[in-house]
Amino acid sequence: MTQVSFLMHPASVFFIAAFFMPWLKKNNFMKPALVLVPVIAIFQINFLPQEFGNVNYLGLDLIFGRVDKLTYVFLNVFTLMSLIAGIYSSYVDEWEQHTAALLYAGSSLGVTLAGDYLTLFVFWELMAFSSVFLIWYRKKRRSHKAGLRYLIVHATGGLILLAGILIRHSEVGNFLFTPIAPETATFGDYLIMIGFMLNAAVPPIHAWLADAYPEASVIGAVYMCAYTTKTAVYVLARGFAGFEALVILGAVMTLYGVFYAVIENDARRILAYHIVSQVGYMVCAVGIGTAMAINGACAHAYAHILYKALLFMGVGSVLEMTGKSKLSELGGLYSRMPISLILTVIGGIAISGFPLTSGFISKSMIITAAGDDHRIFIMLMLLLASVGTFLSVGIKLPYFIWFHKEKPSVPDAKEAHLPMIGGMSIAAFFCIMMGFYPDFLYNMLPFEVTYHPYTMYHLSETLQIIGFTGLGFYLMRKKLVPEDKLNLDIDWIYRKAANPFKKFCGGPLSKLNDIAGEVYRTVGTRSAIMFAKAMSWFDWNGIDYVIDGSAKETLNLGDRVRMLTTGKIQHYIGAAVIVLFAVLIIIVLV
Amino acid sequence: MMGKFFGFLQQKSSILKWLFFIFLAGTVCFDFFVPRHGHGHFFGDSIIGFWGFFGLIGCLVMIIFCKGIAHSFLMKDVDYYWEDEDEGIVR
Repeated sequence: MTQVSFLMHPASVFFIAAFFMPWLKKNNFMKPALVLVPVIAIFQINFLPQEFGNVNYLGLDLIFGRVDKLTYVFLNVFTLMSLIAGIYSSYVDEWEQHTAALLYAGSSLGVTLAGDYLTLFVFWELMAFSSVFLIWYRKKRRSHKAGLRYLIVHATGGLILLAGILIRHSEVGNFLFTPIAPETATFGDYLIMIGFMLNAAVPPIHAWLADAYPEASVIGAVYMCAYTTKTAVYVLARGFAGFEALVILGAVMTLYGVFYAVIENDARRILAYHIVSQVGYMVCAVGIGTAMAINGACAHAYAHILYKALLFMGVGSVLEMTGKSKLSELGGLYSRMPISLILTVIGGIAISGFPLTSGFISKSMIITAAGDDHRIFIMLMLLLASVGTFLSVGIKLPYFIWFHKEKPSVPDAKEAHLPMIGGMSIAAFFCIMMGFYPDFLYNMLPFEVTYHPYTMYHLSETLQIIGFTGLGFYLMRKKLVPEDKLNLDIDWIYRKAANPFKKFCGGPLSKLNDIAGEVYRTVGTRSAIMFAKAMSWFDWNGIDYVIDGSAKETLNLGDRVRMLTTGKIQHYIGAAVIVLFAVLIIIVLV
Repeated sequence: MMGKFFGFLQQKSSILKWLFFIFLAGTVCFDFFVPRHGHGHFFGDSIIGFWGFFGLIGCLVMIIFCKGIAHSFLMKDVDYYWEDEDEGIVR
């Protein structure tokens, strides 16, 4: 690939900015860059050729850019989201978080554009390894541990994906990322699908999401809610449309997510569980696989990224200004943070599918697609999930943060910072604008849209469901008061049930390792040291003296390397990401 | 200013409540005038007020079901996974 086509890739501007972030900060250009980089990318994606960046590396054909309408929708929303999140997060002074965020957003563009599985895999892993820093930068012990769990789960998912990719290569002889028909799918293809489903948080491999996102930094959660699950939806839509398993799992997801959202107490955990529910709609639509369903999945992904980010931004600003995110510790903030309230409620009504919001025009496509495909039971499950959506995110969340108590729970809380409000306002604008002008979204969709959301019947159905769900909340609001408790989920298996195994590793197994190490040290090392001593005397005083003192230099270098190895896993992974990034640049440049 | 406005709304919550009930009645009335041809997927499509019923019952059942499951075995104390230094700050 030539330098020109390297710069043609929209991810490259993100990577370059991420790399130079410390320098940008030093020159007071960090905050403008957070806006400028997404703006460049937003323009850039409109001028991409259908295929670019074909590289032959070690005999493998890598395709860095493959553009069609399905790619374009996701590129469009990913770049728009990076602009919104960039503005929102510009109140943060730490360049490290912005570097991680830009690497993460850029890699998601890389995944979206990848035309072969190897390129996809590299960007896929880069996404996981850059996003974990967004969790760690909360700087709490809890987030540190949650980040490690997140990393382990994603590394496992990545290995499953890689295994699938290699098995598929042995069967079809290439790495091309093309649609797979359900009839011809083999074991390797299903492994790839499982790898993708892990990132889409399909139960039972979903617990990483609700475990990690609420522990992320304020801006970290805003970025993460947009990219990981939605790139997974994109790759599923690209590769696995029409798989029946996805229909059922997707419908289960929609309900699973809202059930937890109803009982959870932490505002960001409610939203995290609710991502599972919303992504369920998209996974279900991908499984249905008709033109309308795929359109619905894309439309819903687009709308969802914006309103879910808006909600995470709203709740994030409460967390930033009050230091609290548990509903049981919040309440009565309407007089302190009214603008955040209004903007968050816009996100809440959009996600609930109120008429004249983006949720109304996107979610209904999927539900109608299920009905048109004569899947009545699935359709009812999706509708029931939308009841739960309005109940948990539309009413419960804003009610218990901003109302419920007479006096503000945090009396000295201030309104959110200006950049935060700016970011939220843009997201809110798009939520409303798409409701008024659906063609903005419909014109981008991969297939031609014949669907009209604003019919009398659909309006009546939606108003009734929303209204009477509100009535249900009104009747049961005393029962719904959040409790300061923890709700078990599948992560119990690796957080609690695996403890005996961990004890075995930490106890007997590590003892055995110590003993083996001791034996090696006493027997093996001692003789080696004696031999080395003799040799080094000869080397030091004999040869090196004669030549140029290079042994001493090497020793000094060793000291310096030793200082770099701090023993902190964050540093190692950070270094690995940088090396990977450098290798990537070298590959594409040469 | 906006904060005051929300305070005012909270004081007048009884009026809001009645407005809400009128809105609910309105949605059911609206359902009488909705053309129903072409929606033959499902028997509920042809019953007036079906989705209101669905929303209310769905909401109540969901709350009872979720709270029931939570209280019977999902809900644990917040320090269930707790280990010694969990509340600390890194660095």
